Formats: sequence, C-alpha cells, structure tokens
Amino acid sequence: MPLDFRRFNGPEDSVSYTRFTQDFLKSYDELHNELINKSNLRKDGRALDEARSMFARTDMISQAKGSAYVELKKTKVVCSVFDPREIPHQNEFSQLGQIFCEVKFAPFSCSRQRRPAAPDAEDKSLSVALRQALEPAVCRHLFPNYQIDVFVYIIEHDGACLAAAINAAGLALADAAVPMYDIITASSIAIIGDKMFVDPTEEEEHVAMISPDSENVNHGIITMSMLSELKQVSDFIQIGSMDTDCVIKAMDILEKECAKLIPNIQQVLVMNVVQNIEQQKKLEEEAKEREAALNAKLEEWKTLLNAG
Amino acid sequence: MAGPLLSSTEKIFILHGVQNDYRSDGRSNIDYRPMELETDVVSHASGSARLRLANTDILVGVKTEIDVPKPDNPGKGKIEFFVDCSANATPEFEGRGGEQLANSISNMMQRAYHTSQAFNLKQLCIFEGKQCWKLYVDILILECGGNLCDAVSLAVKAALFNTRLPFVKAALMDGGNVDLQLSDDPYDSKQLDIGCAPLLVTLCKIGDKCVVDPSAEEESCSVISLVVGVTGNPKFYCTEDTTNILNVECKCSTIGMNGPGSVAPKTLKDAINQGIIAAKCLDEALGKALLRERQETIVMKKHSYGFLK
Repeated sequence: MPLDFRRFNGPEDSVSYTRFTQDFLKSYDELHNELINKSNLRKDGRALDEARSMFARTDMISQAKGSAYVELKKTKVVCSVFDPREIPHQNEFSQLGQIFCEVKFAPFSCSRQRRPAAPDAEDKSLSVALRQALEPAVCRHLFPNYQIDVFVYIIEHDGACLAAAINAAGLALADAAVPMYDIITASSIAIIGDKMFVDPTEEEEHVAMISPDSENVNHGIITMSMLSELKQVSDFIQIGSMDTDCVIKAMDILEKECAKLIPNIQQVLVMNVVQNIEQQKKLEEEAKEREAALNAKLEEWKTLLNAG
Repeated sequence: MAGPLLSSTEKIFILHGVQNDYRSDGRSNIDYRPMELETDVVSHASGSARLRLANTDILVGVKTEIDVPKPDNPGKGKIEFFVDCSANATPEFEGRGGEQLANSISNMMQRAYHTSQAFNLKQLCIFEGKQCWKLYVDILILECGGNLCDAVSLAVKAALFNTRLPFVKAALMDGGNVDLQLSDDPYDSKQLDIGCAPLLVTLCKIGDKCVVDPSAEEESCSVISLVVGVTGNPKFYCTEDTTNILNVECKCSTIGMNGPGSVAPKTLKDAINQGIIAAKCLDEALGKALLRERQETIVMKKHSYGFLK
C-alpha cells in the first residue's frame, strides 16, 4: 500500500500498539464466548434473532434530488440520489437506463483501521453489490441512455453496512421520485457455529469472518436484499463457509427480516409525501399572501396616480 | 458484458430448448462442455495452467514472493487474485473496457478463497510473524466463450495444484531481520495442499430453469445468473489410499448474483443445491485429470501441447 506522506507514518517496521493490547491477544474462543452472555443475550442486550431498531428519514441533503439517512444504532449511512443525466463516455445507445453506485467509507468510520481516501477493494465490491441490488427494483426502461447516480456515504460502521446502504438507497430513490417496482429492503446475518446473529454488529461480523481452528464449523456473513411484495431476491451475498442447510435456514430468516422492515419504510415514505404536500400548501399560501400584498400595493399606487 | 447479437427468435429458440432440457448444442441443463486442461505451460511461473472450455480460454500463472505477514494474522500467508481481460478476447476489453468484469471475477475469487476451510493460508507461513509466502494468482482471459467464472476457478485450482514452493535451507537471524536461503533445486520443493480449494459454478437462469455452463449465446438470453463457490474434497487430489482421509462435506464458500434481474427465493434455493451437485462432479473430474497429468510427468511421458493446439 502506498504511504500517505501527509501523515506521520512512524518507522517502517513499526507495529500498531493494538497488536499488544489485551483485546487483541484474546483467542478465538474467548472472542466467541464474549459475544453471548449466560442469559443468551448479545453484548448490546438483544436476543440472537432480534434486529436493531432502524431510524430512517428522507430529505437529508437539500442539494440532492433525493436523499435518505439510515441509522442502526452505531451504523450510520447517508445516501443521495441525483437527477438522471446522459451516460458519460458512451458511444452506444443503451435501451435501459443505468444506475451508478458509489459506496464510500468515512476515514474515521471503522474502529479497527483508518480508511484510505481512495476507494479500496471493499468499497468497490460494496458499490457493485449495491448496484446489483438496486437494478431489479428501478424501472430502468423509463430512462434510456441515462444514468442515475446513487452515492452512499458510511459515516459510522458498526456492522450490516451493506444492508443499511441498500435500505437508505431505496428510500433515497423513492424520495427522488424515481419510478420503482417495489420497496427494496435488505438485511444481514452473521453465522458462527450453530448460532445465527441477525443484524450483526461489527464485532460479531469480525468473529464470523475468522475461520475457527476446528474443522467444519459454519461461519460467515450473508446479506440479502428483497423486493418483498414481488417475492424476489434482488441480491444475495454470502462469504465464509457453511453447508446448504445453514444457507437455506438463514435465507428464510432473512426473508422474514426483510419483510419486517417494510412497514417502517412505508411509514417514512408516507411521512415524506405528507411533509411534501404540507410544504407545498405552505408555499402556495405564502404565494397567495404575497400576491394579495402586491395587489394591495398596486391599488394604492393606482389611487395615488389617479389623485395626482 | 460482451455478448453476441441475437435476434428475438433465436433467443426464443434457446429458451424453448432449455425448457425441454435439450439445449442448442445437444447438452442437457446439467451438462458441461468438454474441457482441455494443461498444467505447467509457463516456465517463468511457479505454477501455471491453461484451460480451454469450448471457446473460453483461460491462462493462469502463479508467482510467489516472500512478504511480511499482516500483524493481525502473524501465522498466515497471503494470496491475491488479478484478472486481466485481454483485448484479444473482444475489442470491448481494450483499454479499461474489461475492468468491471475483471474486478467482479477477482472479487468473487477473493471471497471464495477467504475462509481457511477453502484454502488454508497457514501453509504459506515460513516464519511466524516475520516471513510468509505471498501468492500472486494472475488470470489472463484470452478468449470469451461464456461461463468465465467456472473456467477461471478450475484453472486457478489447477495452477495452484501445479505450484511448487522452494524449501528454506537456512535462515539467518540478524537482529530483527530474517535472511532466508532458499533451495535452488527445482525438485526440492513442497506442493500446496489445495484439496479444499473452491470451485465456482455459474447457474444461468433462462426462462424459469437454471442451466450450468452457459455458452455466450445462452448468457445473452438470461438476465440473472447465480454464482456458487463450493469447497473441494481433498480425497480427489490424493494418490495414496483415500480411506484415512476424512471425507469432507462440500460447503458453500461464497454465493453471489450477476446481472440486472432478480430471482424468487425458491429458485435460489434450488439453484444452490444444483450448484453443489455440479461442483462435486467437476471437482472429481479435475482431481482425476490433475493426478493423471502428474503421474505422466513423473514417468517422463508427458507430452506438452502448450499453445500449439
């Protein structure tokens, strides 16, 4: 990796102090056992199959056509969608519109390392996954030869960031009034041994990605995005190692989790429409008031002119 | 992706064929096309393989380098995948044209090799915390005839099977630095344990059925394909008596989707099962071919074709 010379880099063979902290020296089993306490609750007090409550709102960024903000406890994601524009550097006519996605981590978003300014492999693969998830949801035939830009910025990353990004992007697209077939929702699950952590935190994800020493133990992360009304899976990403039964079981859980998010998202969207209508009304009223004031002025001047 | 131009009637013809389990080239939905595989084709690489699957032509070279292990994984080596889409395959790949495809394939490979149940990076460790091997797997796509992912994963596994790492003869400790002396005898080397290395199987959804090993024409008829990475079974890659080796169950090491469409959950589940069965057969066939070739090399009877064929 090229060094960033604007920062103080320390000697070449230096090792981060975290390498010697107590947390780091913990063995896999210790890390694993810490995730769940005796009463079968996770560190933040949730049950295994309990997702974090989601906060979502639209109209986050005034400059963008549509925008959304999604928060899952410590995972915070902003998404903005811009007007369709002609696809740059393309000679051929494309019948279907394209979606351009970019996922970026804030430099301070992760607890383990500082994110480089330039997009790395993870950013790129998340962008690809996001595009894959959104493409089936958007009516792309309505934008031939145009592209819609979707930018996602991850402010804080505490697990399930792809799922949060997809949820935010779906909301932002709806806020931008881009025609879509269905509401898109996503959820993620971490699998460690025989335990399934719905909506994992970063710590749980980290342990799920470490391969245990004992052979043949299931581990990994699955993220799935769904168009629930149409019963279609728009993206499915699995990393790790697990047998088919485990994948299928996780899939059923994720399907339910995705459906659970729908009322929440619907409410946000309805609120968004109500707010927009109210704002429209307010603007109209203000315009009327101004017109009335102007008319009154006009009358005043007219009488003045006539008198003079 | 680069695809041939098909008229709508041709597409319907292919779709009907798939519906009746009889594809335009005479295969059924679960058949692969014949493949040609040769290992040790590049003399400058530590291991190499060339795979031809009908019109798809893949060349893989493995280069090795000594590197310092990551501080959070002191006992593990490194492996990296680079895909290069040659403009020879289609003019569309010229310049940065093939970058997106190349990225998606290398991403897929990296994810499939992530878990230690697929590829154990501990075997690349030389000196814990100080030195390890880093494998650069360079994948060259010379021709595109559909089904790139499967072909790439097969060629990579064959190239890794062919890779030899020289033994360390002596290690000199100088302060904190380690100075290694490697054996320069090409036969004084160790082979990698790649029995579990994953194979990718692409399942292309055409109509409402999934087919394996789609040709380029079939790929252009489908809007969505599912890629399943399945870990291999080491028993297919051993010449010795296989009874004392544990029969390792095939597991999914990665699943991903390609293309602008979506699938129903039920189709997805069926496709995963279908992919695992296909991967098992592929793995067995690949193991047999590789062992036969190794045997031929040992008895000096190997006939090298290289690029002449």
